[in-house]
Amino acid sequence: MENEIAQVKATAAPEGSDRRLRRLRDRLGPLLRQVVLLPLVLISRAIDPVMRLIQAKAGTGGMIAVFLIPNMAIFGIFVIIPIILNFVYSFTGGAEILLDQRAWVGGQQYERLTDCQNYLDPLSCREDLFWRAAHNTFFFVLFQVSLMVSVSMITALILNRNMAGRGFFRAVFFFPVLLSPVVVGLIWRWILQREGLLNLIVTNFGAERVVWLNDRFYAFAAAIGVSTWAHMGFFTLILLAGLQAIPKDLYEAAEMDATPPARVFWRITLPLLGPNLAVVLVLALIRGVQIFDEAYVLTGGGPGTATMFMTQYIYEVGFASLLRNPGLAAAASILMGAVLVVLTLMQLGLSRRAEKARER
Amino acid sequence: MGSITLKDIRKSFGGVHVIHGVDLTIEKGELVVFVGPSGCGKSTLLRLIAGLDKPSSGAIEIDGRDVTRAGAADRGLAMVFQSYALYPHMTVRQNLSFGLENTRMPRSEIAARVADAARMLEIEELLERRPTQLSGGQRQRVAIGRAIVRDPTAFLLDEPLSNLDAELRGTMRAELSALHDRLATTMIYVTHDQVEAMTLADRIVVLRKGRVEQVDTPLNLYNRPANRFVAGFIGAPNMNFFPAVAEGGQAALPGGVQVAVAASGPVSFGIRPQHLRLAAPGEAGIPARVTLVEALGAETVLHARSDGDTDVLVVLEGQPELQRGQELALAFDVEHLHAFDAQGQRID
Repeated sequence: MENEIAQVKATAAPEGSDRRLRRLRDRLGPLLRQVVLLPLVLISRAIDPVMRLIQAKAGTGGMIAVFLIPNMAIFGIFVIIPIILNFVYSFTGGAEILLDQRAWVGGQQYERLTDCQNYLDPLSCREDLFWRAAHNTFFFVLFQVSLMVSVSMITALILNRNMAGRGFFRAVFFFPVLLSPVVVGLIWRWILQREGLLNLIVTNFGAERVVWLNDRFYAFAAAIGVSTWAHMGFFTLILLAGLQAIPKDLYEAAEMDATPPARVFWRITLPLLGPNLAVVLVLALIRGVQIFDEAYVLTGGGPGTATMFMTQYIYEVGFASLLRNPGLAAAASILMGAVLVVLTLMQLGLSRRAEKARER
Repeated sequence: MGSITLKDIRKSFGGVHVIHGVDLTIEKGELVVFVGPSGCGKSTLLRLIAGLDKPSSGAIEIDGRDVTRAGAADRGLAMVFQSYALYPHMTVRQNLSFGLENTRMPRSEIAARVADAARMLEIEELLERRPTQLSGGQRQRVAIGRAIVRDPTAFLLDEPLSNLDAELRGTMRAELSALHDRLATTMIYVTHDQVEAMTLADRIVVLRKGRVEQVDTPLNLYNRPANRFVAGFIGAPNMNFFPAVAEGGQAALPGGVQVAVAASGPVSFGIRPQHLRLAAPGEAGIPARVTLVEALGAETVLHARSDGDTDVLVVLEGQPELQRGQELALAFDVEHLHAFDAQGQRID
């Protein structure tokens, strides 16, 4: 009986102002929606007869093409045509920008790029800067990708545990991904420069100040560290998703079997994470080869050419240097593009295999 | 080897009490079934015994040794999961030997044990396949095989047959029963299916809302349920209940049938659908009107409504000719009547 009274009271309470407000909202809501949608409605009414006319002419199959045209046009203008132009430029010489003023030189630019006595020694090459950039990029990718994959793996494993503030830490590790690469470069330059934050801390502890970005080793390490810091959140996220897709009862079965934690990691977690790990590895490789903005803002390629990477070389040869040579830059882009195509094909193949494995 | 004792086990998850003090002794070699509706805590109780969860209070003993704080690995138990939990990237052989490799057992011994288990479960041809290449029933066998090779103190089975179709479930049930006879190892089996419980168990533990309602052999549960919940849960179709008021050691059922009962005040009477029959002419019975007739051939399930709007189920042998809307009287033998007091406890 008491319960019933309480229930009656509970339903009676909103009877007053609350209910009137709700009624008002229920009436105003649809009205507001109509006002907001009015332009859209008008536009679609105006388009409708035109589209009907086109459909009558083109048929259902043709309509597919009609709807694809806007996207294909943008894709063509900003991707396909530039690639073709770039390819054509790579066979021309001179400093002129417009294609009709440029001389056809055939494969000369490629010959110049590959003219080397010893590919392992950039100084023996005619275009030594290209080979310096290639070497730097190779070592950058080697160390940065190894660091990236292991750090994001460890972070993902930690974030996958039931710990306090898990959501907070997931956000913290992901935030750098949201920053613009230029901002990343600037932040770390303020930290690492001569009068920067790090030196302030170092000197406070009585140690000698280090000019981090003017030292070949430290500058290269900084480029690796900063780009890892900036991108690891993204890779951690992929690995975390993979970890969470592993059924919990597999771990419980392993626990019942008295499996040591290290064996659980090597025999269960790692093999089941394989597809995700492969995707992370190849994506990190692709991004590593493309390294430019944050490293350029951080070190400007220096000291000397210690942190000059391939994209920076192309940028400087093509646009930024006094002796600009668009044809040479285009040829270098094509060579770098070939490496990226191989890596992308690997990535596609791996993700397709992962998809198949999931379907099974 | 293989006796398990639970002493006042309680478990709560963040303030929600799931198990409210369970005391239970499972004898060596016994097959005990935990049964109850979903959310009754049967799987939680099994996980507490397994060591995958730790009780909030109380103690667990295996063969007299207190293992309450011991990890799952140190209890010598093997578990068969509802989802089978087979390692998808390993072959059946690797799945079976994985647990043994942790114990640094010699390779020859592992191979021998895997071969034995595979022969016993008839999965020898499947040893080089992966779990994804197996049918549900085959996966189930592998999951059981993975438990068998460990030669555990006791087997814990968490709804092992619930992912199989009805026919296969029947077959596997019989095989599990035979397996238990052969191994003579303690088994704890969790299910929500009372038919599985009745057919497999040496003893059944009926759970509801984290409490043990009754522990007994299947037939004792059926014949002498300790309370209304057990009476309603065990047996299919469900038992019929009639409310009544007892006065001076007598209570009246609908239709005026007088029954002796050692109580006074509100009581309820239960009778199984199989124990009701059509009253012979002149015989006293519960008057009811037929609402549905389900003729199954060997038997006929009658849905009826008695006076006082109580729904009644009757299972009649054979194929009696009955129509919807027909008025009839339902008779029964008094020894089949179960009486329960206002709290639902059995009155003898």
